[in-house]
Amino acid sequence: MKKLITLSIILLAVLAGAYYLSSYLAPRAELNALGEFYLRNSYFGEHSAGSPEVVTAILWDYRGLDTYFETAVLFMAIISAVSIFRNIPSVSFHPRGFTNITKTGVKIVGLITFVAAATTAFHGHITPGGGFQGGSMLAVVPLLVIVGFSKKALEKAGLNKERALVIRTIGLLTIALAAFYPLLAGGRFMQNLSIYPKELYGMLVSGSLSLFNMAEFLAVGAGFTIIFLLLSNPEGGSEA
Amino acid sequence: MILTVIGLILLAIGAVCDLLGAIGIHRFNTFYLRLHAATVGTVGGKFYPLLGVAFIAAEQGLWPVVGISVLAALLVLVTTPVGSHALAYAASKARIVEMELDEFRGEEDV
Repeated sequence: MKKLITLSIILLAVLAGAYYLSSYLAPRAELNALGEFYLRNSYFGEHSAGSPEVVTAILWDYRGLDTYFETAVLFMAIISAVSIFRNIPSVSFHPRGFTNITKTGVKIVGLITFVAAATTAFHGHITPGGGFQGGSMLAVVPLLVIVGFSKKALEKAGLNKERALVIRTIGLLTIALAAFYPLLAGGRFMQNLSIYPKELYGMLVSGSLSLFNMAEFLAVGAGFTIIFLLLSNPEGGSEA
Repeated sequence: MILTVIGLILLAIGAVCDLLGAIGIHRFNTFYLRLHAATVGTVGGKFYPLLGVAFIAAEQGLWPVVGISVLAALLVLVTTPVGSHALAYAASKARIVEMELDEFRGEEDV
């Protein structure tokens, strides 16, 4: 009964607060100048990013410098995690994994997740999504395999920590090279169109946007895979 | 017309299954019974309504919605039994929740 009174007081307070605040939150009738600039220019305008997906255009073109250093922050975070875990021996436990039902389910769901992740990343310049989102989805596949089968099965299939580090470094190097190449070609840092082509063989690639998305897909997917591999080390040695 | 009616019936079945699942989660007293109620809520309450949405969208010619709904329904149909199986297996194997009436363990141990 006491709980109910407290809950109803909280509910009433929240409702009264929302009603009081609602008069100050009048919907805006017009865009501000910056938003209008992005909407008008991302595909058609004078300062085009060549992409119909405005969010990706802002992320990797107009505000590309922010995203470049955001990627650097993720790079530093994963490198520091790897260096913290460097002395902990890599052991695998419970090599039998779950039952056959779970293993079959992991196979089906893993394949679908992989396809969805690749679609999200490679269509990032056309539909909502992008490299980071696709990479996060990609990292779910090794996590599923670790839970359903075992860490050893993942490492036996060729995806161990060192190889994931190599894949991630390839992705980050591609991002860095694609960001610095316009400087050599006489443009500005991370310049997109007129350095990179808008269309390639009749396909819309939006200049460097799709390249950045694919590289970020690899970097983020492999980076999270490293973290999952490190965290799946059991404490106190092997049980199997 | 017929497809819309079928879709609405499936949506209604889904609502009933969701309600039964919610009641079951609150009223059942052991882990395995609650797991059963949760699965009723997921398969009956997500799979049938998604198919119903697909039928209604097919009547209106919204084929992308049909594709996404059917795909999501199939995904739910695959993941739910696997997930509940893994939960029950792990709970039983780790002896976290003892089974009251274990039909399998008796023959195995003897």
